[in-house]
Amino acid sequence: MNTPIKSLSLGILLCMGLVLLSWWNLFAWSVVPVTGLDVWHAVTAFDSQVIAQRIVIDLRLPRLLTALLVGAALAAAGTIMQGLTRNPLAAPSVLGVNAGAALGMALVSTLPAFYGAFSTSIAAMLGGGLAWLLVMLLGSAWRMGGNDQGRLVLAGVAISALCAALTKAVVIMEEDQAAGVMTWLAGSLADARWQSWSTFWPVALVGLIGALLLTPALNLLQLGEDNARNLGINLLRSKLLGSLLVLILVGATISTVGSIGFVGLIVPHIARLLMGQDFRLFLPVAMLLGAGLVTLADTLSRAITYPMETPAGAILALIGAPFFIYLVRKRTL
Amino acid sequence: MNASRFFPLGLALLLILSIANLVFGAVSLSLEQVWQGLSVGSEQHFTVYEYRLPRIFLAILVGAGLALSGALVQGVIRNPLASPDVLGVSHGAGLAAVFYMTYFAGASTDWLPEVALAGGLVAALILWWLCGAQSSAIKLAITGVALAAFWASCIDFLMLTKPLEINNALLWLTGSLWGRGWTQLQALLPWFLLVPVALGLSKYLNLLDLGDDSATSLGVSPQVLRLVSLAIAVALTAACVSICGPIGFLGLVAPHLTRKLVGGRHQALLPATMLTGACLLLAADLAARTIDPPIELPAGILTAIIGAPYFLWLLLRMK
Repeated sequence: MNTPIKSLSLGILLCMGLVLLSWWNLFAWSVVPVTGLDVWHAVTAFDSQVIAQRIVIDLRLPRLLTALLVGAALAAAGTIMQGLTRNPLAAPSVLGVNAGAALGMALVSTLPAFYGAFSTSIAAMLGGGLAWLLVMLLGSAWRMGGNDQGRLVLAGVAISALCAALTKAVVIMEEDQAAGVMTWLAGSLADARWQSWSTFWPVALVGLIGALLLTPALNLLQLGEDNARNLGINLLRSKLLGSLLVLILVGATISTVGSIGFVGLIVPHIARLLMGQDFRLFLPVAMLLGAGLVTLADTLSRAITYPMETPAGAILALIGAPFFIYLVRKRTL
Repeated sequence: MNASRFFPLGLALLLILSIANLVFGAVSLSLEQVWQGLSVGSEQHFTVYEYRLPRIFLAILVGAGLALSGALVQGVIRNPLASPDVLGVSHGAGLAAVFYMTYFAGASTDWLPEVALAGGLVAALILWWLCGAQSSAIKLAITGVALAAFWASCIDFLMLTKPLEINNALLWLTGSLWGRGWTQLQALLPWFLLVPVALGLSKYLNLLDLGDDSATSLGVSPQVLRLVSLAIAVALTAACVSICGPIGFLGLVAPHLTRKLVGGRHQALLPATMLTGACLLLAADLAARTIDPPIELPAGILTAIIGAPYFLWLLLRMK
């Protein structure tokens, strides 16, 4: 039912919407007045004497780029997880990867024994990886009927709760480091700067390209494990690759902006609704939608308590949790 | 272990833990100092009488209350994964209380338990409306967890957008017994009049285990019984939450542990569960205060560290 022309026009429409949203994000709700025209001038003919243009280039642009890439990365991670587990409720925040990554970061940034052992992003990947491994091991012990899909989600929730409790304990015990840790636990884009962007984008880009390359294997996996094996797919390799990509994407994101939930849960569903079941088509759309959603949340995060900021992660959780309930309700578990 | 051995052992454990809670802490006291501290005018009077003693009573009451409501919920809906915190009732009560404290900053905190109760009831009704009576154990648990996540994100949102009032709410919300004293104990105590009512129901709860039809033919209305038991569970949870904030997994773990020890007969199970819950929370609070003094961890963190793996184990064993 999806003709190439329809897909193409939808893609173009989404890209245009994203550009408009990005432009809006660059000037909206600034304490120092910035207009849409300032943004245009800053991009085309930058004049470092004009404060509004300096704000756009030095503060807003890295923040916008980070938001876009974070959204794309989380949406891709969610899509891969839903593809690998064939579970519509799977997402990094639901299955414990976010909480595990946060725990890993809390450990390296507060406990003296771990100081400098790894960079924070590696720690986030290791922590998230452990949580994911645990959930996957539990999951593989169960045949994936309707009940077991639900069980996997509950296992993820329990592991999240455990990791969150441990993170809090670590943070409270090392009080002098607590303030910094608490900021990124809430998941905010307010501190995104060119410096963090320069370490974030190469990793995230590798993850995104890898995700796009994985889509044919994800398509085959949807036929069921036996069929996929008959069709010559190396199950273990695709699963390992997919998991690795999830960890790279989520780890890079969390070490840059903190734990942002529910993007990976919501976006793949909307993308699937728009594009049908073919991963090759709906993964790119999911990335665009994710980028848009996080950018929108970031814009709102400045608007809600203007002139203060609300962490974007809190806003996304507020939208995401009802969606999660809706998904649970819709399915026969 | 049968009930006749469980109760003496449990009470002895409770006593030992209480004494340990009086002795250990940021400053460790000797037993003699504790004894002297109970009388007015002693050097240790403030530490022992104003600080540690009410906290012990609170831990016992809150632990017992949460465990009892967990046992009631598990008994009534016959779902091993159910408990007020898994089903989102605790966080619903928490949200109502935080809302009350942020938007009615001048209002009296005396009404906090009632406000929390309203929140808990609304949360329970929403869960009921979303799931209906016929849904599977797993689905009920997931919907409850999702609702709990939603209430929690609303609480986060309120606290992040109203940063000026945050201190009061944050202090209350952590699932900790820190800074609570005799006043809170007085506020909590009347709610425990519900406990005898719950214990009185235990005989009928046993009939419910035989199935709805048998219960009806034995002269018990299953619907009424369910409603009353759940209402008591929600009320007890809300009262505890309004004092300490949500303390996770206690209402889930304590009934399971007790059922293993004394069996499923509610006459023995309900009081035994209260004892287990009290011991668990006392132990958690003791550990929370002594792991890294003078820093205190919220007791809720420790119950989650123990409770979450237990929940996983339950999931693994469930058919």
